[in-house]
This record gives sequence, C-alpha cells and structure tokens, in this order.
Amino acid sequence: MGKFVTIGERLSTTAPAVNKAFLERDPEPILKRAKQQLDAGATYLDVNIGPAEGYGPDLMKWAVELLQGEFDNVPLALDTSNKAAIEAGIAVYNRSKGKPIVNSADAAGRIENIDLAAANDAIVIALCNGEGIAKDNDERMGYCQMLLERGLEHGMEAEDLWFDPLFLVVKGMQDKQMQVLECIKMFSDMGLNSTGGLSNNSNGMPKAIRPIMDSALVAMAMMQGLTSAIVNPNDLRLMETIKSCDVFKGNTLYADSYLEI
Amino acid sequence: MALKGLDIFKLSPKKNCKECGCPTCMAFSMKVAQGAVDIAACPYFAPEALAKLSAATEPPMKTIKVGAGDAELSLGGETVLFRHEKTFVSRTRYAMSLCTCMDDETVAQKLEDIKKVDYERIGERMFVEMVYVNYSADGKQDYVELVKKAAETGRILILDCKDAEIAKAALEVCKDGKPILNGADASNYEAMNAVATAAGVVLGVSGADLSEIHDTVEKLEGLGNKNLVIDVTGADVKETFKNAVQIRKAAIKDGDRTFGYPSIVNLHKIAAGDLHKQAALLSLFTMKYGSVIVAEHIGYAEALPLYGLRQNLFTDPQKPMKVEPGIYPLNGADENSVCLTTVDFALTYFLVSGELERSGVPVNLIINDAGGLSVLTSWAAGKFSSSSIAKFFQEQDIEGKIKSRKLIIPGKVAVLKGELEAKMPGWEIIIAPNEAVQLVKFMKDFA
Amino acid sequence: MPFTAKSGKFNASINAVEFGTGDKAVKIGGENVFPLYSFDAAIENAPKVGIEITDFGMEHEPECIKKYYEGCATLADMARKAASMEGVDFLSFRMEGGDPNGANKSTEELIGELKEIADAVDLPLVVCGCKNVEKDAELFSKAAEALNGKNAVILSAKEENYKTVGAAAGLAYKQVVGAESAVDINLAKQLNVLISQLGVDSKSVVMNVGTAAVGYGFEYVISTMDRVKAAALQQGDANLQMPIITPVASEAWGVKEAMASETDAPEWGSQEERGIDMEVETAMAVIAAGSNAVILKHPESIKIISGLMKELV
Repeated sequence: MGKFVTIGERLSTTAPAVNKAFLERDPEPILKRAKQQLDAGATYLDVNIGPAEGYGPDLMKWAVELLQGEFDNVPLALDTSNKAAIEAGIAVYNRSKGKPIVNSADAAGRIENIDLAAANDAIVIALCNGEGIAKDNDERMGYCQMLLERGLEHGMEAEDLWFDPLFLVVKGMQDKQMQVLECIKMFSDMGLNSTGGLSNNSNGMPKAIRPIMDSALVAMAMMQGLTSAIVNPNDLRLMETIKSCDVFKGNTLYADSYLEI
Repeated sequence: MALKGLDIFKLSPKKNCKECGCPTCMAFSMKVAQGAVDIAACPYFAPEALAKLSAATEPPMKTIKVGAGDAELSLGGETVLFRHEKTFVSRTRYAMSLCTCMDDETVAQKLEDIKKVDYERIGERMFVEMVYVNYSADGKQDYVELVKKAAETGRILILDCKDAEIAKAALEVCKDGKPILNGADASNYEAMNAVATAAGVVLGVSGADLSEIHDTVEKLEGLGNKNLVIDVTGADVKETFKNAVQIRKAAIKDGDRTFGYPSIVNLHKIAAGDLHKQAALLSLFTMKYGSVIVAEHIGYAEALPLYGLRQNLFTDPQKPMKVEPGIYPLNGADENSVCLTTVDFALTYFLVSGELERSGVPVNLIINDAGGLSVLTSWAAGKFSSSSIAKFFQEQDIEGKIKSRKLIIPGKVAVLKGELEAKMPGWEIIIAPNEAVQLVKFMKDFA
Repeated sequence: MPFTAKSGKFNASINAVEFGTGDKAVKIGGENVFPLYSFDAAIENAPKVGIEITDFGMEHEPECIKKYYEGCATLADMARKAASMEGVDFLSFRMEGGDPNGANKSTEELIGELKEIADAVDLPLVVCGCKNVEKDAELFSKAAEALNGKNAVILSAKEENYKTVGAAAGLAYKQVVGAESAVDINLAKQLNVLISQLGVDSKSVVMNVGTAAVGYGFEYVISTMDRVKAAALQQGDANLQMPIITPVASEAWGVKEAMASETDAPEWGSQEERGIDMEVETAMAVIAAGSNAVILKHPESIKIISGLMKELV
C-alpha cells in the first residue's frame, strides 16, 4: 500500500489574495503559499482557478509552468470547471513526479471530464454525486459504477479514478457522517482509490475546533480505506495524524523521527 | 486467493437489472467478493467469465505430494514471496545425484555418502531426503539397476529420463515409493504423460526457455495432468535464477496458474565439479524459490549451514522461535560446573550459548520455559520470575543432576537475586553482565 | 501460450555509493530492482566482496586461513597479500584489539597500524571497530582523519555514537559513513534520518543492518533486509535507500559448525570445508536478501562469491 496522498488546497481562487495574484499573474503570493504547503508535506497541490471564463487556458498554463518550474515538477491537481483550461494546463504539464489530476468529474454535468482525463492519461477525481446530494449509499455506489464504467470504456486504469464520496458538513448533516464513512469502505472493498474535500465536515465551526474535527475524521476515514484527501497541509495536527495513521497502516515504516520527514 | 470486488465487477454484465436483489452490479460484485452472496444469484454472468473467476479463486500454487508412507513430503503450496508476509509452507528439499555415467565404485561411494548426513537440530531431523537418478544414454550402468539401488536407500527418487520406454521400466521397480519422473519437454510430453499417469507419479517438466515450459505445462494440463513439477534449470546460473524467480513470481503475484507448481533446480548441470559453488547455490536457491535442489554432494560441510538456513527461513514470522527448555552442558561441563540460566527465546539462546562457547569455560546452560520470549519481555509477563525459575529447577530435578550450587542470572533481571536466594536455599546467585557480548570476559574472570 | 513476464522494475532505486579512489574505486547500489533480479532491469553494480584482516594479524586465525598468509611478517605484508587474492574488491580492517574488555590496544597503536595498511594497498578500505561504542567513537574519529582523501567506509556509526562518528567521518573528512543497527528496521531508518540531519549527504551513507550466521536467528536478518528493500523500492522510502554492507566473516567463523576442531567433531569432517561452506552459504543468503557488499575472509569463499556475482549480474 502506498502512502496517503495529500492534495494541498490553499491555492484557491476563493482566497482573495490568491484570486488577486491569479488575475494579476503575480507569482510571489502563489509561490509563497505553494512553498508553505510543500514544506508541510503536501504531495500534490490543487490549483483552483474557478470558472475563469475566457482567460482560463492562459491562466492555467501560467500557473502550471510557474509552479512546476519553481518546485521541481511538483504534481498538480487542475481544479476548474473550464475544460479548455484543464487541457491547456495538461499540455504544458511535466509528469515526471506524477500524473496530473483532473478535479473533477461527477455523474451529472461534468461526466465528460472522465473522457478528458482518459484522453490525456490523467488521474480524475470522480465525485459520486448527481444533481443534489445523494440520498444514500445505494445512490452513491450507482454513480460510482457509472463513473467507473465510463473510465474503463475509455481505456483508463481503475486506479486512476479517485472516487470522492463528498464529505458533508457536520453542522446540519451530522446524521449523514457514518454513511460517508461507510461509502469509503465500499470503495476500498472494491479495490478503488478515493479522495475528497475532508474539511467540508467542519465548515462553520470555530477556528480552533476545525483541526480537531478534521484530524478525527481523517483517522476514521483512513481506517475505512481512504487513500487521499484534499486538505490544508499547514494544519499541523491534521498532518501529524495522517503521518501517524500511515504508520499504523504500514504505508510507511516507523522511525522515531517520523514526524520530521 | 481472494478476489477484489473490482475483478468481479469487470466481468459482470453491468446491466443493473436488480434481479439478484442488489441495486447495482457493483454492489453485487462487492457482496460476492465478501462471500455474502453466491455468484449464481446472477443469471447473466457469461460462462467464460465464471470459469475465469473460479480459476482465480484457486490457490496460486499447487501442493504436490511425493514419496510414500512416512516418507511422504509436500512440495509447493506457497502463498507469498517473502517470509515476513506469511509463513512459507513447504521446506526446500535436497537431493544428491547419481548417474548411469558413473562407475561402480563411484555409485557405491555415493550411496554411502547419501546416508552420512543424518542429525537432529532443534527437534527436526536433517538428512538428504531425495536421490536424483540421471539417465545418460552412453552410461556405464544399467538405468533400472541403478534406480533399484537408489530405491534401497529409502529416500524419495527423482528419475531424470526423457526416454519413455526406459522411464517406464525404471518406474516398474520404484513407483510404489512415489518418485518424481523428471522427463517431459515439448518434444515428448504426450508419451511421458502416459508413463507418469499410468504409474501414478509426479511428472517433471523442462524446456528451452520460460515460454516453452509454459506451453508444455498448458498442454499437459490440457491432457488432464496437474500433478507436475517444473525443472527450472537453465543453461547457466543466471538463467536458472531468472527461471526460478520468474516462475514463482508469476504464480504468486500475477496469478498465472500455469506456473503454480513446485520447482526443481539441478546444480549438477550448472556448477558441475565445484562443490563450494554448489554450496553457495544451495543457499541461493533455498532463499529464492527452489522446491527441490539437486547437488552432487551433500556432506556435513554443506549441510550444517544449509539446514540451519532452511530451518530459519521456514519459521513462522509471527511466532518467536523457541528452543527446548533443559540443561545444555557447554565446553565439556559436568555436574560440578557452574550453572547459568536464561530464557528459551531462540535468539537469546544462540547469542548466549555462542558467547559462552567462545569463553571456553565449562558451564551448564539451563534454559527455562519462558514462552519463547526475550529476558525482559518474559520477566515482565511473569514467565521468568523467581518462582517460575525455582519451579523449573524443581521439575527438572536440577539439584539431583548438578552438584554445583552457583547460579548465574542475566544482568537484566538482577532484581531477582534476593527472591531467588530466598526460594532456592543453598544456591549462590551471581549476576551476569547486561549484554551477551560481555559474557566472554565475565566467564573468564569468573573461572 | 508464450509467457510474458511482468516487469519488476521500480521507479525508486537504491543509492549508488562509491568508495575508494582511482581505478580501484568500487561502486555499490544503484539498482531499481530486487536483489540480483537483473532480468527485471540491468544491475549496473554487482554486489562486491571485501577481504577482512584484523589488528591481531594471524594470531587468532584458524590454520586454514593462516596458510594463505605464510611468510607475512607485518600487517602491511598481510594487507598486500589479501589485496592480491582473486576476486577481492576491497579490504576491510577490523580493529578488534581496541576493546577495553579485551586486549585494550591504544588508539594510537591501532591508527598506526591502519596507516601502515592504507599505505601498503591501493584497494578501497573499510574500517571496522571493536564493538565498544565509546572506544569506537574515538577510533573512528581518528581513522577518518588518518584516511583523509581515501574515501573509505567507516563501519560504523551506531545509535550511541553516531554524532561523533558522523561528524568526523561524514562532515570533517568526507568518508563514507556506515550506519549500524542490529536487525531492527525502525532503528535502521531512524539512524539514517539522524545521520542525514547532522548534514551528512545521504549519498555517502551505507548501512550495516546486522547479520548472523545461517541457522542462528537468520530469519530476522532475511526479513530485515527484505523489508528494507521493499520500503526503499516499493514505498520509495528515501531513508532506506542506502546500500547494505554486511560483515559476514566474523559471524560465520564464530559458530561451532565452523570452529569445532576435527578431534572434537570427527563425524563433521574437515574444519576448513565447514568454515568455507558456512561463509559462502551465509554470504550468498545475505546477498539474496539484499546486501550490496559482503566482507569475508577465506580466499576460497571470496573467489566463489565474487565469481558467482559476475555470473549472476
């Protein structure tokens, strides 16, 4: 079993500073945030440029070249609903450190992103969601099958589809939490990879509580077989929890200095 | 081998008809993988898909039985490539070779030599379990006569003979001992198959390369014979090693059932005349995937390290290796020699006895029954305490067997000194150093 | 149906580490496949074989070793003789006499001997200690200094003395640092982390993960090495990608199967044969499990193992 893959979420257009830097093509704030995340142990970096209508291809190309040029071809997740932007990003992407991730496809309007990933030998995050939140795991697994079949039909390896159960916010959907965890177990039983925006669970909670909730959830989810997550790598508690869980799962070999490496 | 839901799903009809009671084919596949539902609940699986799935659930490597009665041995049946994953199943077996090309004197000598190595090591009898009888067309010996002599050793025979008629005659005199007939290849497999199956013996398959072997095994399986072993011996050491590893890897890791058979490695063919080289290769092919290894000679020099290696390699990785509790007199110790006690964890025993032997000082090493744990672990678990030691001394009647009343205990359990002196009146308790390496000096000073 | 083997090549590889200087320098490691699996991908550096001599010269050696060094008056003579044996890639000098609980030879004396040897041969050198961690810290610091510019292997730094040994050997004199643990894979990794945190280039580190003679708890040796290679190659664990050097001679020639005299064990036959087979069988087993170099002492064992490495890789 491989190590748990962390995808750093802090290069997102939803953060005003990042948005501004994207629009102005200002490298410095982008590189700074990227470095912080890599230093903290992120494997992949998510590059969320939003819909970026019109200028998406240009922006994604700029971001990919900037980040890979500065950080030894760091592997990236290209996060946008703009297909042309993803294609432009992949066109300049260097895969020596890992395939690009297309973020994301779903079982409704964005199912064609599977085809896009297949055509470009990329990994795709496959969100097991149709219109609205799935009512139960039968529905989620139905989407899972649909997405998996689509990938296999287009010649993808099953391991390149990373299924996302869609983590739900505790405040308001506390009763759905175990369902999500059971869904991860089903992915794992099927032998499928999985990922997701884990910190959704703690949305709206006091800042001091979020790392605690996120850490607890990642430990439970890794026990269920989660193989990756989109996280804030600068959350020390969370990263320490992930490294510790990797030891328990035998994904890395323990050494007293395991938190430092 | 367990199948993942994904493997089953890939072969499923993907109709989501719900006739099986599951909402989707994926859910059904998952339940089949867990064993919760029988695959027959789906009426739409194609027969080829079902055949593929049933083959995939067979064990990756067959267990092949050779020899008869008490001498029967199992070969193969392995499920992993590395011992830390799970205990290896069937010990490597060793054979010495005879050949019709040898003269009478050599044959007589070899038959004597085969019997020489025979000893016990930690409860296991160590001897040369098999005799390999090679047929050479321009030989000095009559093959059937040679096979008869070999059979008299009582060891399991492997007949190396590609001539079906001669093999048939040889089997007539030895088939009750359930030997292996190592003689099938691409050119003669049909005839050899008939001979081996008629005699009810295991058939060995060889070939020019891995593809040819694969092909021949498939053909033999097609004829209904799955009682096979594969002779992996190639043109040289390198090719033989490659064959041994590739065949085992294909069977265990990649699920290639055609290669799921035990192997024979014949060192006589790749290192003839060089016994030290054969010793090294006996070790290499014990480590990497020889089920039977044939050498020209296995005397004590070759056997002592080899059988130790095999015994270590085939231990359960989860269970500590234990030695038999009791008194082990070292360096010519007698009843008047000092006693030293420790636990029955094999590693502790080997370390301590090794250092004691190096000291040259006569000492009675008394191994306690401590559950196979190390000194501190067994002490913490209450299995190496003053009362357990005192009880052990009583049960074993140490005081009746040994006159010395000096007992050395491990430095790590120095705390036991007072309690032991109270529970074992008359004994002087002496504390050894903490580490085994310090024992040599300690014992020398003591003596 | 023809057989097509699945590739067993990994994306990660074992570090290639060079020691010694000039044409005689040797390189170990570098492979991206399991030990000896040259059919999965070419192995550039076959496992190497070293010969061991100790500061006791011939004093503690069995007759069957002594006869090869007949006529040697000094350690330098022995070193020259050892270096000329067939199949020898490097020379290992064990400063056994430094042990304060043994002969307790002074550091000056031992370093003097080391220098004599270093001057006598141009083969790459491996320096082994006396197993006493305090004394070894002192011996290795001085040895690293004495061998300045020789790119020798200092075998080795342990948990108790890695700071001193790592600083002298790895930082001050740029020798290759050996990291020694005793069949404890977590400690093996930790020691590599600690040594690299000192600032020693991880490409100048080799490991001695511990060994035993076959039959003597050797299963732990096999599994330690199997797991080190699995972590290094399958999991890409950079802290276990250092090549492994295993001193076999001192273990193999220390067990009763090799040491017992022919009078004590007449049924066992020739002591020399027993010693050689114990040495070659142990050496071959540690190489099959993952050692990139072994240290042996009987010339026949060395010839056999080095010959086999050429055939296998």
